[in-house]
Amino acid sequence: MDYSFSYIDLSNVRSISRGDSTRVKKYIVQFQELISERLDLLNEALEAKDRVQIRQICHKMIPQLEFFGVKEVRLPISRLELEYETMPMEELHSFVQKIISRLSGALAEVQEFLKNQVD
Amino acid sequence: MTNTTSIAQKISCAIIDDDPFIRDLLVDKLQQYFPEVQVMAIARNGKEGIEKLQESSPDLVFLDVEMNDMTGFEMLSFLPEITFKTIFITSYRHYAIKAIRFNALDYLLKPFDLEELRNAISRFKNQGNGAGKPERIHQALANLTNSDIKEHILTLNTQDGELKIAIKDILQIQGDRNYSCIHLVKNRREVVSKTLSDLEEILDQEFFFRCHKSHLVNILHIHSIPSTFSIQLSSGLTLPVSRRRKQDFQDWYHKNKTA
Repeated sequence: MDYSFSYIDLSNVRSISRGDSTRVKKYIVQFQELISERLDLLNEALEAKDRVQIRQICHKMIPQLEFFGVKEVRLPISRLELEYETMPMEELHSFVQKIISRLSGALAEVQEFLKNQVD
Repeated sequence: MTNTTSIAQKISCAIIDDDPFIRDLLVDKLQQYFPEVQVMAIARNGKEGIEKLQESSPDLVFLDVEMNDMTGFEMLSFLPEITFKTIFITSYRHYAIKAIRFNALDYLLKPFDLEELRNAISRFKNQGNGAGKPERIHQALANLTNSDIKEHILTLNTQDGELKIAIKDILQIQGDRNYSCIHLVKNRREVVSKTLSDLEEILDQEFFFRCHKSHLVNILHIHSIPSTFSIQLSSGLTLPVSRRRKQDFQDWYHKNKTA
């Protein structure tokens, strides 16, 4: 079945999996688990206004997001990495909210994909 | 298994990264595209990495720069002996890339472009399994633990091998398109195939300033500033300061002149 996604692109996942649906599923389940967990941590760090933690969580997510084609977060995360210490808290908050919103969209698509796979 | 590449050119490796996605992805890429590379150990953090590396002797280690419990450099400093080669793995824009490049160490950006991975493995094979790379790690650790930056040793790859230069010995660097001429104390000069911008990026901004499009000056050797547009070095040489950089140069000089 072909899926049309707005937030994610599964080309890399399909390429590394070479048609092995079990492997595709492994990467997608891993994305769901890790990004969900990191989204929770990101929300907590934002609540605590913990700039260092925010940077670390975002930094850790970059490779997986890139692999899943979640491109729109690249720019805000890159800026955040450079300016996390100096950026006004309000702006930082708005950046992180933008990231969270994109990630929530990506997660919803991943969940939908998995649901349809199981169904 | 020993850390000597066998006749069949098998390479044993260890992967140390606290991100399960990165570990899985690297294992899959190595298995699919580089069957000669065998993953013999996988560690989920620095502490586990130390244990695994003491139990096994891989030829090559893919090591995360920043883990939850320690940095990759810290992990290496805890090892009694380094007998393997290291390829650092990191994300784009990580601050440690500067230190990695300053010490001419190898690194790969996550999530691993296939061509870059191929080139890194090819570099590993071409250099054999000698002690060269571990020596660079030791040099990097020495630099990182020495807070006196002027004593740091810059390592650059050259056609013949490598060039090691103490920061305190660099007077200025003159750029000429894809090459740079490093002017050193005692009238020595070294030409390297790096642009002035490449060198500017890896050198400490407290010590080095791009006073002109073709010159990078070391503050340690500025003797005087005879005019707004010139710098007199301790060697007697005069460097130009470009019009558009003169204010930034003045600001930088007054901020850092006690370095």
